Amino acid sequence: MAAFPLKSRINETGNGTGDKHAAPTADTAYPRANPTMTKPSVPPKAHRIALLFNANKVYDREIITGVGNYLLSTRIGWDVFLEEDFRCRLTGIERFDGDGIIADFDDPAVSEALQGSPLPVVAVGSSYEDGSDYPSDVPYIATDNLKLISLAYTHLIGAGLQHFALYSLPPSPNHRWARQRELAFARLRGADGRSPEAIEDEIYRGLSTSAPSWNQAIEQLTHWLQALPKPVGIIAVTDARARHLLQACLMSGIPVPEEVAIIGIDNDPLARTLTRIPLSSVIQGTEEMGRTAAHLLHQMLHGARFGARRILVPPVGINVLESTRHRPVASPYVARARHFIRQYACQGIRTEQVADYVGVSRSSLEEHFRRELNCTIHQEILRQKLDAAKALLARRDMATAEVAIRCGFTSLQYMHAVFRRELGCTPREFQERASAPTPG
Amino acid sequence: MINTALPRSEPWGSLPGAQPVRLFTLRNAQGMRVAISDLGATLVSWHAPDRAGRLGDVLLGHDTPAEYLASTAYMGAIIGRWANRIAGARFVLDGVEYTLDRNEGPNLLHGGNSGFHRALWDVEEDGGGLVMRLQSEEGEAGFPGNVDVTVHYSLDDEGELTIDYRARSDAPTPLNLTNHAYFNLTGEPGIDIRGHVISIEADRFFEVDAALIPCRESLVAGNAFDFRQSAPIGARLDWPHEQLSLAGGFDHCYVLPGNALEGRPVREVARVYDPASGRELTVSTDQRGLQFYTGNFLSDEPGHNGSRYGRHAGFCLEAGAFPNEINRLERDHLIVRPDKPYRQVTKYRLGVAAHA
Repeated sequence: MAAFPLKSRINETGNGTGDKHAAPTADTAYPRANPTMTKPSVPPKAHRIALLFNANKVYDREIITGVGNYLLSTRIGWDVFLEEDFRCRLTGIERFDGDGIIADFDDPAVSEALQGSPLPVVAVGSSYEDGSDYPSDVPYIATDNLKLISLAYTHLIGAGLQHFALYSLPPSPNHRWARQRELAFARLRGADGRSPEAIEDEIYRGLSTSAPSWNQAIEQLTHWLQALPKPVGIIAVTDARARHLLQACLMSGIPVPEEVAIIGIDNDPLARTLTRIPLSSVIQGTEEMGRTAAHLLHQMLHGARFGARRILVPPVGINVLESTRHRPVASPYVARARHFIRQYACQGIRTEQVADYVGVSRSSLEEHFRRELNCTIHQEILRQKLDAAKALLARRDMATAEVAIRCGFTSLQYMHAVFRRELGCTPREFQERASAPTPG
Repeated sequence: MINTALPRSEPWGSLPGAQPVRLFTLRNAQGMRVAISDLGATLVSWHAPDRAGRLGDVLLGHDTPAEYLASTAYMGAIIGRWANRIAGARFVLDGVEYTLDRNEGPNLLHGGNSGFHRALWDVEEDGGGLVMRLQSEEGEAGFPGNVDVTVHYSLDDEGELTIDYRARSDAPTPLNLTNHAYFNLTGEPGIDIRGHVISIEADRFFEVDAALIPCRESLVAGNAFDFRQSAPIGARLDWPHEQLSLAGGFDHCYVLPGNALEGRPVREVARVYDPASGRELTVSTDQRGLQFYTGNFLSDEPGHNGSRYGRHAGFCLEAGAFPNEINRLERDHLIVRPDKPYRQVTKYRLGVAAHA
């Protein structure tokens, strides 16, 4: 059992209103919650909590951030155990001398190691369509796979697409969530009148990712992409998978998003920096999952019991970027031109190079642009550069001069002038506005 | 170009006494349309663009005046003379006890049996906005004083709807007004609001008793009511908390920061974001309280275009005084007197957030 004596139970009902040491200061005629119950002269001993996650992934890191935020929002002081490299090791976990555990149950080894644990455990992981797939004895905080896929799917429909596909992962006990996302996709497509066979054709699992099979994997993926009816909107079960799609599209000259619009899941900044075309992605409610798990464990440490209670957390947003800004264009010249511009605008390309790539005369391409997009080729290049500059400025980790160079502006002054004209502010003012807090 | 200076109006059926009801429309340069009826000074619909620029109605509402009269959901209406509840339907003012309508068990709810939401308001157009007036006679629902109420609705090109309330009384009387709009930012009433992500700038709220009357003030820290960092409504509805079980969801008043009794500025107090449409609602007010309600009582309620609204089909963020505040020790600031008029400014702004 726990090595540390439990704190006196400050919250007898387990209703979540415990730990209020600070009395509100405003004037009121109502009795305050918790008038004098907790004024310990000696601070209570901190509970020792293990977090079993692989925080090399953005998903796990954000869940841990959520746990941290919960602790900061209260006066709870937990002594948190995390491996040095933030990765999860199970060796000796049964001898963990602590009070409670929050763990990633997507890893079957973790759920197995914690079976019958005498310590309070809160599980975090994938949602399951079949209730019997959940562990039967611990409270479980799930990312809602149906809502994740539904959000991505609705977004692609909203972008004007009519064909859809899902790029998943080969089946594996460690990726049960990928299978759940396939089921969610199948359910949504089924509700829209697709037959089970047709849906099965829309789901591609590909190869698992490894260095020796990389070329083969991309080759097979390209085949699948080429065979799909176009234009198509593809949901990738993670941003890492979405990056494969982008890669295959770029290598085989398929315009993104005109022919293939792509949305991933995780909103992983790393996956974004490795792609030439900014990737749209669904933002999971990971911080809220961490807060929820911490809250339940906090209650359990004070005597509450939740059995196999499940809380499903929906996604909190979509980062809408270029890969799903699907604007159907009739002219294949314009589609190809924009595909080229999206990739190379920041390298200072000129109108002639775009026309060369497309293989038509400059004046003819200008005419197509005017008719379809009501702008010149030059304006489209400038728009891309401006978008790239806005994205870099919002990150706040680069000098404005550096941003100007990276985005293909010939000088900082020129970027200033473009910002003034197009946005009515300086790059710096834009940066200040962009860094104002936003929800989600 | 649309002329945004003149609100348009059209006939919208009639009341049982054959009095005609009208529907007015405010518009802005983004193409937004807010429909307001003179019945209850009610916000009937609000068409606002999503991230792709498509308009969708973000308010719950009924199709006909008859449905408004038959409903107990108070959709989009101005509530008065007292929004929310007064315990025991009574209060004492200057040594006199006043007995009010008991329209929810032993308590008064949302103005009593008649209420401002069922009245036909006078309407004037004013500088592109609407000025709505109502005279509430002495004794209405049991309240003293003849009260003249003016509600000024205006919509600007940024998508901000301002509700400016003013009132005068010829005798001292308590007054607490609000608007009871239910929002569903998806624009699709079939989808509930569990996926909306909300933040509320408040570190305290009122716990309630079984009759939903505030009984004590609590901190939000460490429990389901803490929206100082944004969180999806659906996840929080499932957090363990006896107050959520009691009310069937959120139906609680938050104590807003900067809550001096008089002279508060209008400040931003809450935001709600719908990930699917990208729509974001921002609420600003000069009031001390904000009631967060998750449509717990909605059940097969007739909605727009023949739809039906179920539980959690919409949420309300109602700015005003605290529920039953008139029965607290300190309540002088709630009394409208001949030399002390009532004033409230609350703003709902609808926009599109770049991402989360």
